[in-house]
Amino acid sequence: MLDGLSSSLKDALKKLAGKTVIDRTAVDELVKDLQRALISSDVNVKLVMELSKAVRTRSLEEEPLKGMTVREHVLRIVYQELVRLVWASTDVKLEPQTILMAGLQGSGKTTTTAKLARYFQKKGMKVAVICADTFRPGAFDQISTLCTRIHVPCYGNPLEKDALKITRDGFAALKDQELIIVDTQGRHALEADLIKEIIDLNNLTKATHRWLVIDAALGQQASEQARRFHEAINIDGVIITKMDGTAKGGGAMSAVAETKSGIAFIGSGETIEDLERFDPDGFISRLLGMGDLRALMEKASEAIKPEDVDMNAMMKGKFTLRDMYKQLEALNKMGPLKQIMGMLPLGNMELPEGVYDVTSTKMVRYRIIMDSMTPKELDDPSLINSSRMQRIAHGAGATPDEVRELLKYYKMMQRTLKGLRGASGGKFNMQRLMKRFSGMQ
Amino acid sequence: MFGGLKAKLQAARSRLGSSIQTVITAPAGAGTGGGQPEPGPKMEKSAVPPEPEQPTIVEKFKVLLIERELIVSEKDVADALSELELTLLESDVALPATDAIIAHVRKSLVGKHRKIGESVDSLVVGALKAALLKVLGKGFDLLDYIRTHPRPVKILFTGVNGTGKTTTVAKIGSYLKKQGFSVVIGAGDTYRAGAIEQIGVHAERLGIKVIQHPEGGDPSAVLFDAVQYAQSHKIDVVLADTAGRFHNKANLMSQLDKIKRVMKPDLVVYVDEAVAGNDAVTRAFEFDKTIGADAVVLTKADMDSRGGAAISIAHTIGKPLMFLGTGQSYDDIALFEPARVVEELLGDT
Repeated sequence: MLDGLSSSLKDALKKLAGKTVIDRTAVDELVKDLQRALISSDVNVKLVMELSKAVRTRSLEEEPLKGMTVREHVLRIVYQELVRLVWASTDVKLEPQTILMAGLQGSGKTTTTAKLARYFQKKGMKVAVICADTFRPGAFDQISTLCTRIHVPCYGNPLEKDALKITRDGFAALKDQELIIVDTQGRHALEADLIKEIIDLNNLTKATHRWLVIDAALGQQASEQARRFHEAINIDGVIITKMDGTAKGGGAMSAVAETKSGIAFIGSGETIEDLERFDPDGFISRLLGMGDLRALMEKASEAIKPEDVDMNAMMKGKFTLRDMYKQLEALNKMGPLKQIMGMLPLGNMELPEGVYDVTSTKMVRYRIIMDSMTPKELDDPSLINSSRMQRIAHGAGATPDEVRELLKYYKMMQRTLKGLRGASGGKFNMQRLMKRFSGMQ
Repeated sequence: MFGGLKAKLQAARSRLGSSIQTVITAPAGAGTGGGQPEPGPKMEKSAVPPEPEQPTIVEKFKVLLIERELIVSEKDVADALSELELTLLESDVALPATDAIIAHVRKSLVGKHRKIGESVDSLVVGALKAALLKVLGKGFDLLDYIRTHPRPVKILFTGVNGTGKTTTVAKIGSYLKKQGFSVVIGAGDTYRAGAIEQIGVHAERLGIKVIQHPEGGDPSAVLFDAVQYAQSHKIDVVLADTAGRFHNKANLMSQLDKIKRVMKPDLVVYVDEAVAGNDAVTRAFEFDKTIGADAVVLTKADMDSRGGAAISIAHTIGKPLMFLGTGQSYDDIALFEPARVVEELLGDT
C-alpha cells in the first residue's frame, strides 16, 4: 500500500521527465502526490501544507539551474525544503555533561538510555546512568540489567518513590563520572504533575542536553506533544526510536520542526549497539518512500571518475578484488553502502544484511590489507592460500582472520552482484540502471 | 479521546451542510423568479462535457418543479469533502482509511434527492455516521465471550514494542478479576530486560498468579505451562503476555507463530497505541496476516484527543476494538462501543 503511494510519486515525477518547460498542472499534480506521501509518513498535516506551498512556489518561480531538467529542478527543491526542516545538527560533544531523557510512555527511553551509555562508553567516556523512573514496575531491573551487560554504573532504588530524591542521591553517588544520563518515567503532555516533575528534574540536574525520545510510528500527535515538552524543559534534540520497523518517522520530523532542534540519534534495533547518528539523506529517502536518485547522481559525479569503477566488467561477473578496492575507495567518498543502496530505486529488494556490515573503519582496514596483495592475487583471489594469507596479514599488520573476513566479504559482494544480475528480468533492469549510473560520471 | 475529532467533525459537518445549502438556494430562487440566474449557465457548461450522467441544470429544475426535490451534485460537496479529508488526516486517520470514508460519504451524498423540507444537516450527518459505523464495525464483548466458551479461555496478546502489552494484560486481569473470573498470567516476554519483573509486580499487586521462567527462556514453554496450570487448577482465563516485536522481523514473527501453535489461544488480541500514525495500518495488517487477530486493544488513548488510529486499524483488518487504555492505573480501561462513540462524535452538542 505504501509502495503504491511512493510509486504514484514516482509516476508524477516521470510526467515531468521529458518536459523542458515547467508545466503548472504537472507541478500541481506532483505537489499533491508529495503531500500524500508525506502525510502517509505521518508528517504533521499543517507542516505538509506549508512545505508543499513552498515547493510549488519555488518550482514555478525559480529558473531551473543550467543543464537541469524540470524533473531534477523540482526534485532538488523538494529535497532542499526537506533538508531545511530536519537538518539542524545536534552537536554531540565528548565532554562531561548530563543528559535528561524525556518522552511518552513506551517510546523506548530506557532502551535508548542504555544505547547512549554504550555509545559514549565506546567513545572513551566514563558514563553512568540514573534511573529516575519510579513508576513502572521492572524499570530499574531493566536498566540495571542492561547497564551490567556493558559495565556501566547504574544508580536507582526501586523502593523510593521520589524521583528527585533518587536523582539527587544518584548525583552524589556518581560524582566522579564524566557523563550522566538520567532516564525518566514515560509521561505525556496532559499529565500536569508529571510535567512538573520533569521540570523539577531539569532544574535539579541542570542538564546539558534534554533529549526527547520519539517513537517512529508516532502520528499527528507528535507536534503537539513535542511543543508541550519543549515549553516545559526546552528540548534541544530528538532521538527517533524503532526505525527498524516500517514506520517512516514523519511524526518525529514534525517534532523536530516544532522544537527547532535537531535529530541527535536514531535507534534501529533491539541490541545495545543499534544506535546511529542521524543521516538526513537516508531519512528523507525513507520519508518519501523513494530512493533519492538525484542525490546519488550528485554525489556520484563528484566522487567517481569514469575509470574508477568498471560497471560493465562487474556486471559480466568479473568482479575481482581490484574492483572491490576501487569500489571501496569510491564508496568512501560517497558515504555508507546502505545509504547508496537506499538511493537506488531498487524497490523493496532484499539484499543480504551482511553486505552493509562494513563500517568505514573496516573499509580502511580492508584497503590496507589489499595493498599488501600482489597484482595477481588481486585479479584472482582464489590464489590466496594459507601461506599467502600469512604474508598478507604480516604485511598489513593484520591477523589472518581479518584477511579471511575480507575474502568472505568479497565473496558476498560477488554473490550479491550476481543476484542483482539475475533479478534484472523483473521489476527493474539492473544492468541498464548501472549503465546509466556509469553514464553519469 | 475523540474529543478533538468530535470538534472537527462538527465543523466539517456544518461546512458540508452549508455548501449544499448555498448551491441549492440559487436554482430554487431561479425557479420561482423565472429569469435566468447567474450560476445557471456556468454550471451547465462545466457539468455537461465530462459526465453526461450528471444531472444538468434543466433536469434539476424538472426535479425541483415536479417532485419538489433537489439533487446534490459532486461539485456541491467537493470543497467540503476535501476539508473533511484534511480533518480526518489531522486526526491520524491513515490515508487509505480516510480515502475509504470520503469515498463512502461522497457516494452516499452525491446524486441524492433531497426533499425541500428535509434538513441538509440530517442528510450529511446520516452519511457521515453511516461511513464511520461501517468502518468501526461492532465492538467486542469479552465477558460474554468468556461466559460462552469452555474454560480456560486462552488469550494471547501481541503487538510491536512499547505499545503497552504488559500494562494491558495487568489491566484486563484486574477487570476480569472484578467480574468474578479467576485469572492466571503467563509471562511470555522473556526477552526484554525487566519485563518478567514488571509483570510479576503487577500480578502481585493484583493478587493474580503468574507463571514465569527465567529471562531468555522459550516463551512458548512459559505459556504452555500457564495453560497447564489453568487446566489443573480450573482457572477461567489465561492471559498470555508476549515480547514486543516488529512485523518485519521474520524470525520473531515465526516465534509468535510457534507460540500460537503450542498454546492454541482462543483469542488473539492485537495491542497498539492510539497515538500511532500511518504505520498503525501497516503493522496491524501484517500482524493480522501472519498471526491473526480477533480483537484489538488501543492503549494510551488518554494521550490523544483524536483517536484516528482506532478508525485506521478497524478499517484495515476489520476486527472489533475491545478496550481502550486510558491511563496509568489498573482501572483505566474502557469498553469500546462504536455506536456510542459515533453518536457522541456526531450527535448534537
